[in-house]
Amino acid sequence: MFAYLLRRLFFFIPIVFGVMLLTFVLFFVVQSPDATARRVLGQKATPKSVENWLHNRGYDKPLLINHTPGKPWHDSLFIHQMGRLATFDLGTSDVSGRPLREVFAQGVLPSLLLTLPAFLLSIALGVGLALYLVFIRNAVVDLAASLFCVALMSVPVMVYVIFGQFVVAQVLNYFPAFGFELSGWSTPKFLLLPVVLMVVSGLGADVRLFRALFLEEMGQDYIRTARAKGVSTVQVLMRHVLKNGLINLITLVVASLPFLIMGSLLLENFFGIPGLGNVLFTAIQAPDFAVVQASVFLGSLLYLGGLLLTDVCYAWADPRIRLQ
Amino acid sequence: MKSLDQIWVQNLSLLTGYSLLAGLIFLGARSERWRSAWRRLKGDTVGLISFAVILVYLLIGTLESIAVPSASGSRSLLQQLTRSIPQETSYAAPLASTALSLSDPKPLKSRHLLGTDALGRDTFVQTLRATRSALWIGGLTSLIYIPLGVLLGMMAGYYKGWVDDLVQYVYSTVAAVPEILMLVSILMVLGKGLGSMSIALGITGWVGMARLIRGETLRQVERPYIAAAKAMGQSNWKIITRHLLPNVMHLVLIKFVLGFSGLVLAEAVLSYLGVGAPVGTASWGTMIDASRSELSREPLVWWNLTAASSALFVMVLALNLFGDSLRRAFDPKQGA
Amino acid sequence: MGACSNNPHPEPLEKKSGDGTPWKVRYAALPEDPRSLDPQVSYDSVSRRVLEPLQECLLEYQPFKTDPYELTPCLLRALPERFERSGGGIGYKCELKAGILFHNDPCFPEGRGREVVAEDVLYAFQRIADPKVECPALSSLQDYVEGLAETFEAARKSDSFDYHKPISGLRVTGKYTFEIHLKAAYPQLLYWLAMHFTSPVAKEAVEFYDGKVHDGATREMFRFHPVGTGPFQIAEWKRNTRIRLKRNPDYRTTTFPLEGWNADQEALLRPLAGKALPFVDEVNMTVFRETIPIFLLFRQGYLDGMGVGKDAFSSLITPSRDLSGKYKERGVSLHRDIEPSTFFMALNMEDPVLGPNRKLRQALSCAFNAKSNLDIFFNSVPIVAEQLLPPGIAGYRKDFRNPYGYNLEKAKALLAEAGYPNGKDAGGKVLEITLDTTGGSANERLMAEFDQQQFEQLGIKVKVVENPFARLMEKLDNGGFQIAAGSGWGADYPDPENFYFLYYSKNLPPAGKNHSRYQNPEFDKLFETMATMENGPAREGLALKMNDLLAEDVPHVLNMHRSTFSLTQPWAPRIQSNPLLEGGLKYAVVDYEMREQLRAQWNKKPAWPLAVLIAVFAFGAFLTLHARRTS
Repeated sequence: MFAYLLRRLFFFIPIVFGVMLLTFVLFFVVQSPDATARRVLGQKATPKSVENWLHNRGYDKPLLINHTPGKPWHDSLFIHQMGRLATFDLGTSDVSGRPLREVFAQGVLPSLLLTLPAFLLSIALGVGLALYLVFIRNAVVDLAASLFCVALMSVPVMVYVIFGQFVVAQVLNYFPAFGFELSGWSTPKFLLLPVVLMVVSGLGADVRLFRALFLEEMGQDYIRTARAKGVSTVQVLMRHVLKNGLINLITLVVASLPFLIMGSLLLENFFGIPGLGNVLFTAIQAPDFAVVQASVFLGSLLYLGGLLLTDVCYAWADPRIRLQ
Repeated sequence: MKSLDQIWVQNLSLLTGYSLLAGLIFLGARSERWRSAWRRLKGDTVGLISFAVILVYLLIGTLESIAVPSASGSRSLLQQLTRSIPQETSYAAPLASTALSLSDPKPLKSRHLLGTDALGRDTFVQTLRATRSALWIGGLTSLIYIPLGVLLGMMAGYYKGWVDDLVQYVYSTVAAVPEILMLVSILMVLGKGLGSMSIALGITGWVGMARLIRGETLRQVERPYIAAAKAMGQSNWKIITRHLLPNVMHLVLIKFVLGFSGLVLAEAVLSYLGVGAPVGTASWGTMIDASRSELSREPLVWWNLTAASSALFVMVLALNLFGDSLRRAFDPKQGA
Repeated sequence: MGACSNNPHPEPLEKKSGDGTPWKVRYAALPEDPRSLDPQVSYDSVSRRVLEPLQECLLEYQPFKTDPYELTPCLLRALPERFERSGGGIGYKCELKAGILFHNDPCFPEGRGREVVAEDVLYAFQRIADPKVECPALSSLQDYVEGLAETFEAARKSDSFDYHKPISGLRVTGKYTFEIHLKAAYPQLLYWLAMHFTSPVAKEAVEFYDGKVHDGATREMFRFHPVGTGPFQIAEWKRNTRIRLKRNPDYRTTTFPLEGWNADQEALLRPLAGKALPFVDEVNMTVFRETIPIFLLFRQGYLDGMGVGKDAFSSLITPSRDLSGKYKERGVSLHRDIEPSTFFMALNMEDPVLGPNRKLRQALSCAFNAKSNLDIFFNSVPIVAEQLLPPGIAGYRKDFRNPYGYNLEKAKALLAEAGYPNGKDAGGKVLEITLDTTGGSANERLMAEFDQQQFEQLGIKVKVVENPFARLMEKLDNGGFQIAAGSGWGADYPDPENFYFLYYSKNLPPAGKNHSRYQNPEFDKLFETMATMENGPAREGLALKMNDLLAEDVPHVLNMHRSTFSLTQPWAPRIQSNPLLEGGLKYAVVDYEMREQLRAQWNKKPAWPLAVLIAVFAFGAFLTLHARRTS
């Protein structure tokens, strides 16, 4: 198994390289460093100030490969930045000069405080409601629930957020409509509404997914045998269906973990949660290439981490690979 | 004349699109699997109703896509049909008789069922016209990501080896780049427009389809009929197109329908990111995005958001329910 | 109980003020984190808003006088004294007030702020010339202040700045005295002294806050930790969440003015005359990335004011010109302040179609209904621009009407005279014009559609091209456009020279900002004479003549003078509204008792949601029991 994982890891290095190259090209094909400088410096920028800005950040170097005679070919912007990232030096923001290590470190916790509870709650609620529906086995309720779930899935996230904040916050005055504070007891009151919205917006899909999973399990022959032998529905559900569905569940959970760190752009913007969700978006608007690059670098590492974890889970569950 | 050319081109491309669809359905009718699925579908009430709803949307979208000559160049047939509804100067509430202003409520030219937007355009008409954008984005994007995803997925699953590695490398790399960045960059290069939005969404969207088809192909390749075909000496290409493809098509169809609904939903988020439909094109996404400032007004402007969300909701609901019916029709063991 | 309240704000920093009265907090909103609080760098409006209460300038604007604007001494004892230099050129003698202290801060020995001296002003000017600092004011100041350009070039070449070498344009003549030496007459220099670029900076602060690790902890960078002399200091800065400012207990630079306000504010302001500043103890600025929450919190009483920042172009929160009944009942006030800015569509005078055809440009100008534009997109709050200069600038005429203002009949007639009757040229071909805009937000999209519709009334065809901001700037610089929408200019300082230089022929892009490429020798001559004159009737006369030239030549289609508009709660009455002040927080007041009272009234908690919740659970329980029985 170890050899297998090591092979997978090696596979990831060219992917990260490919991702960084693609990001670089995507960003600078769209706008040259010159255009970036102008955007940041605003309407009243002069050519001299633009030139100075570029020089201070190393953007006056050639982009990919250095062709100028007398200089080594690898004295280019891209190579320099790759070298820096390889040592995990994330650099500083082009616009504000803030060290990016700090920016990301500060944003992780608020994002996780939003996404992790929402995720766990979605799973718990999704599994619970799915089991409940399978238990009830009432055709009318089933149909109604099915329609309801699809309906929940058909509303755009933005409408959930806008409505949620606007309607709920104005009608109920039990908790703040906006804001964030990282201190013991007050943090939950800020996260309540966004977490609920996040759960509700994904609930439809979750319940359907788990219900399909459990129904498939229920249809199996060994379940029929168990019920014929007189085992109650509840026991059947708890002991067999849940346990066998667990593997898929765990894989799903584990594979999603890295994405939780990346936060949620919409919810963070509308509710004022200072997480990582809007870092990339704001950076693309600014435009702030240093932040974009660092975000994509970390993001791709997280994504590949997720892939690796999925592989680990499957490999662990599949004895052929485990016993290699 | 330039506008006449435009009309020709637009209507011709519409016709081509529909012929393609007809062709596909004709091909599908030849397969036994599809015929039995259709039989099952006929007994599914929910499925039939949602299909009817989809057809209504298709009709409205088509009306908006057909170009007719008019005094100011070309217009859509829908615009022509609704030309009796006047345009005001600015916001008006649903069924109101005066403009939305506390200090200066000028009388309106006529009452508007769902009110008007910032430029005085009737909300009901705009909502209908926006159907075209949704259909275009869903349709054009599907036209891009489906062939791409299916082809690469099948090749990866069938040939395995280095082909599989290459395909996996490409789609892992593409998937690892954050979607926002890809969409914004591609749209900045190509310029705004429904076409470029579709291309951008297609480029980021084929990954899921490729993965799905690759998985299914890997499963199918173990089956005896593939081995038999190989033993008979059939070329790889023939095996892929004649035997493999028809057996994964049902997955493609289901993913297409469900994917369509995802794309229509995605359009709303794209407007928020600033890469939505361009100036002059009606779309639900831009209407929903505009509500961010409309809801911060006094008095409140809520009707544009409601109209666009409702229209979007019904279409996506119909697509999802129909997708479910399709799934049940092709594989009765699954689902309730 | 506090735990179940919907108040999003944290507890105030303290309970009681120094004199025993309750601690007063002001709550404000920011659209984003400030980018830099370095006084020599800070240029965007958010950064300036946060920097203003922290960092004082040599001069400041009288808060109540806006027509015309007036400069008063702040850190200086009096307005600078002009003199002729022996070797040619002009100089200004300046003297700092004695006894002004920098904030208490760990960068000083024992954490006690030291006195501000003339050396600190020299240090500020040196930083302006330092290429690594990237001061936006350099490009303007270096043309006038001796030695600035040369110092910059030398530092750029050697890639380092020698702070031991003084600048020839800034002579320190005593502990508190210094002279500024200019190459030529430049009365507008005084306005630059009212900006924080020239504000004295303590070397200790810049060197202490280097962003590096000291004793195991990383110290902040100077640009996030300014050390000024202002009425407030930063108490807390949670990135992306809020900034909290705390009163500077040793503040004594200025006191509340003794006069200058309108008669209708007499009752409110007379009792404050001459009092010590600031009036509030804490300012809580929360970061809002979306506008709906700002609106919601204002309604709940958790924001004292709701306004739009100067740089925010899209009309975010647009209250009606009159308040709705609900707001009026509550005692909310609406204020509208005209900014010294003018927005217009730039016409390219070098374009082969537009350039040589004056009547065509005039026709376009007459076709554009600016009033309608403002009614639709800005709720009629800004005013239509009849001339280039905005209100408050010398040379602005209140009763002047644009000879080519909206008049559709006239537009059509002019178009015919221009050679395009009904929009078609001699060969019957429809005239097609390209309109370049910035795209992106829903509002900008709609505005572009409006512009298009306006011109198409003439029968011509308008092609709209949406550009990302940088590309539009590029087009303006290289002349690749016909009409560019959304152009405009906000005054750096209240002087006609700041606006007319946009049409000076020596100011062509890419180095200059004459995007219209307007080249008129008569205009140039008037400009050169007027630019450095002292204000007075002669100067105004020249400004008027220049205005008339522009009005006839139409190098732009005028749109509006932008307004900032804001709502204030009844407990936070408006004290001053000078748009050149970045907020004037030291003058802000708050009636905290009224606020507590009204907040409680506006945030009652309903009981029905609990009933709904119970009903849902009851239903679920019923279903379960039913299923149990039948399973």
